[in-house]
Order: sequence, then C-alpha cells, then structure tokens
Amino acid sequence: MPGPLFQIDRLTVEFPRRGSGLFQRGTIRAVDGVSFDVEPGEAVGIVGESGSGKSTVARAMIGLTRAASGRVLFDGHGVAGMGRAALRAFRRRVQMIFQDPGGSLNPRIRVGDAVAEPLIIHGLARGASASRMAGEAMERVGLPAALGVRYPHELSGGQKQRAVIARALTLSPGVLICDEPTSALDVSVQAQVLNLLADLRRAMNLTLVFVSHDLGVVRHVCDRVVVMHHGRIVERGACGEVFDSPREAYTKALVTAVPGMRP
Amino acid sequence: MQDADRSRTDTSPNPVNTARRWRAALRRRPGTILGVGVLAFMFAACVLSLPWTIGTMRDGTPRYADGVPAQGRVAPAFWPVRDAGEIARLNAMIPEETLREIGDRHGLAPEQVVRATSGRAGMELRGAWPSFSLGSDPLGRSLLIRLLAGGAISLTIGVAAALISVAIGTAYGMTAGYVGGRTDAFMMRVVDVLYGVPYILLVVLLAIASDAVIEDYLDRAPERRAWVEANAAEEARVRGITGAARDLLREDPGLARRLEAEASARFPLRPESDLPLGLGRRGLDLMVLLGAIASVSWLTTARVVRGQVMSLRSRAFVEAARALGASGPRIMVRHILPNLAGTIAVYTTLTVPQAILQESFLSFLGIGVKAPLPSWGNLAAEGLSELNPYRSHWWLLLFPCLLLAGTLLSLNVVGEALRESLDPRARRGGPR
Repeated sequence: MPGPLFQIDRLTVEFPRRGSGLFQRGTIRAVDGVSFDVEPGEAVGIVGESGSGKSTVARAMIGLTRAASGRVLFDGHGVAGMGRAALRAFRRRVQMIFQDPGGSLNPRIRVGDAVAEPLIIHGLARGASASRMAGEAMERVGLPAALGVRYPHELSGGQKQRAVIARALTLSPGVLICDEPTSALDVSVQAQVLNLLADLRRAMNLTLVFVSHDLGVVRHVCDRVVVMHHGRIVERGACGEVFDSPREAYTKALVTAVPGMRP
Repeated sequence: MQDADRSRTDTSPNPVNTARRWRAALRRRPGTILGVGVLAFMFAACVLSLPWTIGTMRDGTPRYADGVPAQGRVAPAFWPVRDAGEIARLNAMIPEETLREIGDRHGLAPEQVVRATSGRAGMELRGAWPSFSLGSDPLGRSLLIRLLAGGAISLTIGVAAALISVAIGTAYGMTAGYVGGRTDAFMMRVVDVLYGVPYILLVVLLAIASDAVIEDYLDRAPERRAWVEANAAEEARVRGITGAARDLLREDPGLARRLEAEASARFPLRPESDLPLGLGRRGLDLMVLLGAIASVSWLTTARVVRGQVMSLRSRAFVEAARALGASGPRIMVRHILPNLAGTIAVYTTLTVPQAILQESFLSFLGIGVKAPLPSWGNLAAEGLSELNPYRSHWWLLLFPCLLLAGTLLSLNVVGEALRESLDPRARRGGPR
C-alpha cells in the first residue's frame, strides 16, 4: 500500500506581530505543531473557528506560506524545499480554491482566459486549443463556455466559484485544497457548489482537503475531520465519529453551536 | 440636483466600466471639457504647423529663425500704436515702391509719406505695415511662428520625458513593490534621497556634463593634448632630458607650437554629423535635456506604483496565480500591470505638465533649449529681458507665459479629472 499523499509533520507557522517596529520584534504563532496525513482519494476536513489557523495550514500545504518549523511532505518530498521544476510539477498535481471567488479572479482578465491560464503557464496548450480546453473545463463544472468572454464582475458569485473550480481542474490535479470555498456564497448556491465538488471528486478521483468553519458542509463532503483550535489540533477522526460523539470540550461546543446538529 | 443624484447611483462599482464613470466625472467637473479643448487646440496648432514653422526660407534659415533686426519689436497687429516715433519707424519698414505708390496717390514725396501719422495716408500706411499678428522679437522674428515652433518643442519634450519617466517609475515601483522586504526598503530609501536632492541641480549637472562630453568629442581636444604630450615625452627622451614632458613644452615654445600644429592637422574637428543618433548637435542637446528631465521626474510615479503593487500583491487573485504556478514576471506583467493601467494613465497626464514646466524653467535659465531653437521657456526669458521702464515690449513676455500657463492648467485639470474617475476614494460623495 502506498504511503500517505500529504504528511504534515509538526507544522508551525509564525507571523510577525502587527505593529512590531524596528526595536520591538514579535511573532504570532498561527499554527503550532500540527501533524496529520492525507491518504490518496480521501476527503479531509479541517474545521475550527476563525483564527484557529486552519487556512494557514492549507496555505502551508501548497507552499504559499513558509513554515517556521516542521515539514509538509507531498509524496515524500518537502514542499518548502522544492526547486523550480519540482514546484511546477507539484502545482500541476495540487490545486487550491480560495474563499473569495470574486477576489481570486483578476478583474481585468476574461473568465475564459483565466480558466485557460494554468494550461499556458504549464505549457500544456496555447491559443485556440487552450480556449477550447478551457471551454471544456467550464462545461464540466456546469458553466456555459459562452460565459468565457465575460469579465468576472459580469458573473454571479456561484458562477465565479465554478470558474475558479474549472481553472483549478484544467490541470487535472490529483489533489484539490479548498479554503472555505462556499462561505462567500448564498446557501442555495453553496449546496450546488458542494454537490459539484462531490461529483467531481467521484468523477476525477480527487483527493480533497476541505477547510471550513461550517461543520454541516464538512460532514456532507468529508470522510475524516481535523478540529483545530488556537493553532493546535484538538480532535481528529472519522467525520461521523467526531461530530456524533465529540470527546473534547471544544469540539462539543463547536458542534452544539450548529443548529440541527446534536452530538 | 436630480442630475447629481443620478450620477451617484449611476456610477457602477465595477472597475472596468470606465466610460460611464468618465461621463460622470465630466459632469462633476465641467472645466475638464475646456481643458481637453485647450489641449487639443494647442497640440494641433503646434504640431500641425510644424512643417511650416521649421520649413526653410529661400536663404536656408528655418522660418522660426527668419527675420531682420530692422523689423524688431513690432507690436502685435491688434495693438494700436500711438507713439509718433514708433509709427515713423514702422512706416519706414514699408518697401520703397509701396511708399512711392502711396505718395503718388496722396501727392507726397516718399520722405514725407514716412512721416505721415494721421489722415488717409496714415491709414493706408498702417495697412501696409509688416503684420506680425502677435508682434516680433528684437531680431524681427515673428513671435507667432516662434511660439508655435517653441510649443511643438516644449510639448514634445514634455510628453516624451513624461512617458520615459513614467516607464522608469513604473518599472522601479513594480520591482520594489513586488519584491518587497529589504530590496523594497533600499529602493525606496534611494527614492527618498533623490527626493531630497534639488532636481534642478541634478539636471544642471547632467546638462553641463553632457555638454562638456559632446564638446570634447567634436573638438578632440583631449586626443590632441594626449598626442602632444606623448610626442613631447618622446622628444625629451631623445634629448636625454629627465623630467615631465610638460616642462619641456613650457621651456621650448617653438616645439610646443610645432607639435600643436601637427596635432591639429592630425586630429581635425569632427563634423556634427558624426555625433551619435545622427541628430546633430542641437538634436542631441534636446535628447540630453529630455533624458535629464525624465531621470528626475519618475520618483512620484515610482512611489505611487509601488503602493498600488503592494496592495495588489496581497489581493487574492495574485495569490491564486501563484498557486497556479505562475512565475513572478508573469504575475507582474499579466496580473498586476493591467490593474495599474489607470494609475499609469493618471500619472502620465500629471507628469507631462511637470516635465514641460521643468523644460521651460531650464530654458528660462538658459540651460535647456538653446537659441536659436525656441521654447516657451526661453521665449519667456527673452520677453522678460525686453521688459524695461522706458518701453515695455509686453507681448514678448505675455504670450509665451499665457500659452505655458494655459497648457499646464489644462493638463492638470484633465489629469485630476482622470484621477478622480479612476480612484473611487477620491470621489466626492464619500468612500464606497
């Protein structure tokens, strides 16, 4: 049996304290010694309140944030120490979806071009064939290819998030890291996007890392869950287990705070 | 009132629909249209008249430099001349045969005709005066032609210097803002230091230094001097004298003269056509001036662009592009640069008047555009020197200043309107 796809090993991330000047140095520890694995094909949820460091873990997993100590291993290789070529290969296999679909699309670039951009960056297609592939990717996420000529502000929130998902999937990555992909969307649109992600996961055999503060959403999508609080993991386990019979006080509080979800 | 309300709800929040926002901005600042009109007129007049104003006369002098001192300091055509002495002088400028014709018609000898200041003969003489619509300068050159040619030079230098400086500023600011950290801190401290240096001093130094270099190149003085000294040293060795070659040259004036003469024959002066860029001395001087102005006026653009880049860099779409695997240069060019387009446009329009003013100021001081080439700055300087308590030739100062002021004001008005329409926070009606 192959090893885990992602190994997060005692990951610690620190940020400079806001307002620290020349003589006063300080750091805030956003993530403090977090370890967990992600197996191929599974969907792992990371939940916690805002500021618990869950997004930072996701960002460190894709190499956007530098670890103060500890490691993130992908397929046995450290993400932080990757060279240019290795990083490119890594980015082809691991893609990320951000919280704010409007913000993660460049307002000056047409949606179709944005979806085609990964293909061009990675030299997989150019010109007409890139647009054709982008159109296919858009159709796959339920977005009419004709919308490709529009600018992001001409799309609805749900359409933008679909475009972002399409862009992430043009490279056919094995892993999709979703950082609060639905929190900026209306509830009805949320459900559509979640179903889309679930469908795509099945169809493309995706490994999902799903960061959310919404326990209901995580329960709907994920197999396993990691509960974070103040930068540490307080509880982990299979989704049903953790949510139905939480062991830690924090998890209990989190679960009881959600209407209609009782342990 | 209703209009104002509509404009506030009309302006769409998206950054791409600029046409509508420009219309709204125009409605709020009606002066902008006037500014655009003034600019369009000024550019059209100066540039379109260029083939005529710099065209050569029969004797080979360009039209802007054409004139005779006898026709100097003629008042503008619309200005009534009352001074008897001035009237007589103007009458004297009328060609002999015209004078004779008028004399015949009124029964006067040519000498008498010249002295006529009133009556029908006077009227007819006034009609025959050289018509300088905006007057003439001390050398009898038409002020209108010089203003047009000078305007073309001033505007061209202003626009070109502004474009170059905005390009430098954008590249610098983007690099500093995108790289960040210590590099950014260092680059911005350099800008701070340059802000502290009086720019005029820098430009003067650049202009003078380049002038010396060009002079040496044409004159070949350094080559001659080196050759003379080398030969003097050789001579000293032959004569068995120890000591510097310079001492030998001082002691033996005959030898010095002979060597100098041979050196002059060996290294003739270079023709101006040998200068790089093939622009000639004057053209090269203008290029140097342009470069000097551009190299001191990019600082503000660099600061503003850096700030913009820093805020853009933290936007989610830049992060998303990084996660997609885009390289730094690609992010800068494809993701950040298009979002800077508005800022760059605004600072170009705001740098143009600054550059024109600097050019005019330098020309006013005599370092910039040099005679006989006109520029609004050196025309104004000439005009100022023509102002004296005895008789003021006011048109020589007023018109260059009026054109300069009008152009600068219009450019600033248009630039401000552009900035307002592209920067929602600067808008009246509060932050959005």
